[in-house]
Amino acid sequence: MTEATSAHVPSPHNLAGLPSPRRGEGQGEGSKEYPWRMPAAWWTRNRHYFFYVVREFTAVPLALWLLWLLVEIKRGGDGPGRYAPHQSTAFVLFSFIVLLFALYHSYTFLSLTGVIIRLKAFDRPVPPRLITLAMFGLWAGASVVVGFVLIWFAR
Amino acid sequence: MPDKKVTIRATRYDPDKDEKPRLQVYEIPFYDESMVVLDALNYIKANVDGSLSYRWSCRMGICGSCGMMVNGTPKLTCNAFLRDYWPRPIVVQPLNNFPVIRDLVIDMDDFMHKLKSVQPWIIRKQEIPLGAGEHRQTNEQIDDFRQFSQCINCMLCYAACPVYGLNDEFLGPAATALARRYNLDSRDQGLKQRLPVLADPDGVWECSFVGECSVVCPKGVDPAKAIQQTKLDTTMRFVLPYGNRE
Repeated sequence: MTEATSAHVPSPHNLAGLPSPRRGEGQGEGSKEYPWRMPAAWWTRNRHYFFYVVREFTAVPLALWLLWLLVEIKRGGDGPGRYAPHQSTAFVLFSFIVLLFALYHSYTFLSLTGVIIRLKAFDRPVPPRLITLAMFGLWAGASVVVGFVLIWFAR
Repeated sequence: MPDKKVTIRATRYDPDKDEKPRLQVYEIPFYDESMVVLDALNYIKANVDGSLSYRWSCRMGICGSCGMMVNGTPKLTCNAFLRDYWPRPIVVQPLNNFPVIRDLVIDMDDFMHKLKSVQPWIIRKQEIPLGAGEHRQTNEQIDDFRQFSQCINCMLCYAACPVYGLNDEFLGPAATALARRYNLDSRDQGLKQRLPVLADPDGVWECSFVGECSVVCPKGVDPAKAIQQTKLDTTMRFVLPYGNRE
């Protein structure tokens, strides 16, 4: 082993002992490759890309609403006498939109569970469709339980 | 129909002359309903403009050499029939997300590096001598990895992946699918050697599941599935007691 080789500490992507060519630098000095540049509007070029970005974007209003929920919980800790829930029309509308986003996000997530989860029963793979249906069933069951608990404590 | 024509707009880029790629229009005879885009390119090369550069080899969807963007979608040009586009013009461009060397030829070094980094071959802790017989597998064991073994390294999945387009450090779909192919192989014992690459922040965790890699795969491989399953497996190895035991 040469000194240069033994001194080389590979990064994870270098496990195979190869140099790590970044795109556009693979042809050595003097090459004049035209580098790839991702266009800013890449997500408008394809229906799947568009809905992917929508799916990812739904997390932003969800996060805002959950931050607001933390504020409400903090206010609720001050006692029932000093607590007044936020009931403006704008907030109710925002909450409704966030609910739709949450449902869409949950739907897209649960729809993929059949692809992701590998289960075997009696040495045979469980059909992905069955896994997805089971996940939707669990989701519905959990929603009913959470709803019941909330209503029970609100009484 | 001897007068039937098809318009091909192909990317031209001469690194010694051009500042950036441009489209050149060719109008060629569409003489056979079974013609594919690769046939059109071959016609241009043979009869119109011999300087047009592109990769191809087998013409039957096996070698994975002739992947290009056809009207904005990553396709094997040997499997893209002109009749599906005609009479509209067909725009043929080099695969997205890769640098262009010349015309329709991309630089695939980055992919080759990533492919080799996952060590897509059977790794044994200790080889058994040839005389000891073959490694036997059941049909069920083969079914576990069969679809991932269909990958032909055509890189269409990389061209379809916006995550790779935005971050060239991402390991990417095909390399992960092939890593999964070997990790699921009952003869292989190389999981621990592949994990540092797969579980790297630029490994499977960089993927946010666009899913387009699986849509464009010409061989029916599902790289998105391989990536998400690998995420679940690495998480389970971390969370479960004795998860790292092999």
